[in-house]
Amino acid sequence: MTFSNSYPARRLVLVVDDESVNRHLLGMILSEDYDVIYAENGREALALIHEKRELLSLVLLDLLMPEMDGFTLIETLRADEELRRIPIIVLTSEKSAELRSLRLGAADFITKPYDMPEVILARVWRIIELSEGRSIIRAAEKDPLTGLYTMNFFEEYAQQVRRYEPNSAMDAVALNIDRFHMVNDLYGREFGDRVLITIAEGILGWRKERGGIACRAEADMFYLYWPHCDDYDAVLARLEELLAGISRTTRLRLRVGVYPNAGRDEDVSRQFDRAKVACNRIRDTYAKSILIYDDEMHRREVYAERLINDIQTALEEGQLKVYYQPKYDIRGDRPRLHGAEALVRWQHPELGMVGPNVFIPLFERNGLIRLVDRYVWRTAAAQAHAWREEFGVRLPISVNVSRVDLYDPDLAKTLLEILKENDLTTADLLLEITESAYAEDTEQMLETVQGLRERGFLIEMDDFGSGYSSLNMLAVMPIDVLKLDMKFIQNVQDGKGVRLIELIMDIVKCLGVPAVAEGVETAEQCRLLKEIGCDVIQGYYFSRPVPPEEFKPFFFKEGQHADD
Amino acid sequence: MLTIDALQAFGANVTDGMTRCLGREDFYLRLVRMIPSDRNFERLADAIGTNDLAAAFEAAHALKGVLANLSLTPILTPTAEMTELLRARTETDYAPLLDEVLRRRDELRALCAD
Repeated sequence: MTFSNSYPARRLVLVVDDESVNRHLLGMILSEDYDVIYAENGREALALIHEKRELLSLVLLDLLMPEMDGFTLIETLRADEELRRIPIIVLTSEKSAELRSLRLGAADFITKPYDMPEVILARVWRIIELSEGRSIIRAAEKDPLTGLYTMNFFEEYAQQVRRYEPNSAMDAVALNIDRFHMVNDLYGREFGDRVLITIAEGILGWRKERGGIACRAEADMFYLYWPHCDDYDAVLARLEELLAGISRTTRLRLRVGVYPNAGRDEDVSRQFDRAKVACNRIRDTYAKSILIYDDEMHRREVYAERLINDIQTALEEGQLKVYYQPKYDIRGDRPRLHGAEALVRWQHPELGMVGPNVFIPLFERNGLIRLVDRYVWRTAAAQAHAWREEFGVRLPISVNVSRVDLYDPDLAKTLLEILKENDLTTADLLLEITESAYAEDTEQMLETVQGLRERGFLIEMDDFGSGYSSLNMLAVMPIDVLKLDMKFIQNVQDGKGVRLIELIMDIVKCLGVPAVAEGVETAEQCRLLKEIGCDVIQGYYFSRPVPPEEFKPFFFKEGQHADD
Repeated sequence: MLTIDALQAFGANVTDGMTRCLGREDFYLRLVRMIPSDRNFERLADAIGTNDLAAAFEAAHALKGVLANLSLTPILTPTAEMTELLRARTETDYAPLLDEVLRRRDELRALCAD
């Protein structure tokens, strides 16, 4: 028989019929491919099914029997959570019984007198195969922790909803917990799991009321695909209430991103990408917990995708322009050109000038910033070399080193190669590392930065004051220059701002490193900073960032002073 | 000794019956030999005797299934007729049909004993 060859193991089948001849007949047909056991009535069958529940693949069931009839047995099995998985084929000669048994949950029926044995075998195998396939799906389709669908099955079922109910207005919803890893870290995995289970219970509750399907997509990210809803505040409030029930002390913040009324032609995974975009945007704004994906978000997304697609070409074609903003040492009687910071701009052939505030955060998120950084390092190094050749002056240029660069084991090697190619030393290229990079993974950062310093690089801590560094961390941080975040300087006229700057300058003095203030715009700010002991200033007060050819006058001016 | 030829002469559709037994003659004959002692014949007779049409239906229905599987047409035909009447709980004189069923069963029994 071909059927038995599909799987190695012989399945166990129970034949229930009060007629001995029928049992023998079926047994003979089945026994070549299956192990067969027999019962004479429903009661005897039920006992056997309980006993063999782990092994039993199928029940072939006569309907009219003494003791317990077939219908009663079907009902009993269907009502049992564990036994309902065992498929039943009803043996009957009655048309009306066929329908009734199928409605009760029988998988199929075999009519009496029996069909050709081959037909019986084929039906038996088909039902076993379907049932086993279904069991495998059941085991794999649900997330064991929450009982919601797993991602792959969810996507498949969502596509079915789309296919078979194309006219229903559906919302794709992404829901997660703000800083869930912190919940796990602070309160333990067990509590974290309870949170996830509670959310899943809430979601299942809604699902009962509103329909739709749900899954745990990953870690703490849940997806819902359900009929369009106008009031997500109420939805969220109910879930928050449930969460409050498991802990009065822990305030959990949920984020809900919604892609509403998804178009019927749109791919389901695309719909959830958008719901997720909306959900993740909440990270940036603490004022909201629910964000509906809108045209603005769509424009941003399309724009971001365009930038990601175009960056490689931009690098190859030199669309990225490196500008330089001078830094002046203000300690003496007149400001002296002290250095420059290399800042990147993107002259996109179609989109026009793209600001670094647009593409740098985007590329930081997806790692493409590494390519941009390397491009800037090379360009700036070549520029430093060119200026030295032209003006005979070594002007140190500061370049940005992004957080992802710090994870690159070849970082120091790459930088040293660039210096060597341009006949420069580590004194010519200063490395700016943003304060928040230190805060992310302190150990790793300290180690990498220390390694760079050991090779002679000077490290400038960028954006100081914008992050969350602790004073303790400052003490152990390996830095050579501290750059004050421009936000402090912008408030410098305000009394509090001044005091804050003074305080920071005290810290700088305590650390024994020079301070650079960036974003300085007015003479007043400059005077004030000089008064409280700031060493170097960078900002529009002296110059905006300029292309290299426009930088030359700064050298000329220095030259004139030198001649004076 | 019961043979296929004898069964054919009796009126059984041996081709159909044998097909259900995967063409195994010995197995088919073994099952046929079990028929005369099937207790449902007595149950049917008793139930008709006491006019318990529900019990009679159950017995007739069970017999019908077995006889159909073995294609024992001479006994199946009156049994099937009884079954349909009993299903509708028809008040009628079942004696002639029952006699026919039992007579045919006895004929089969005689064939088995030969």
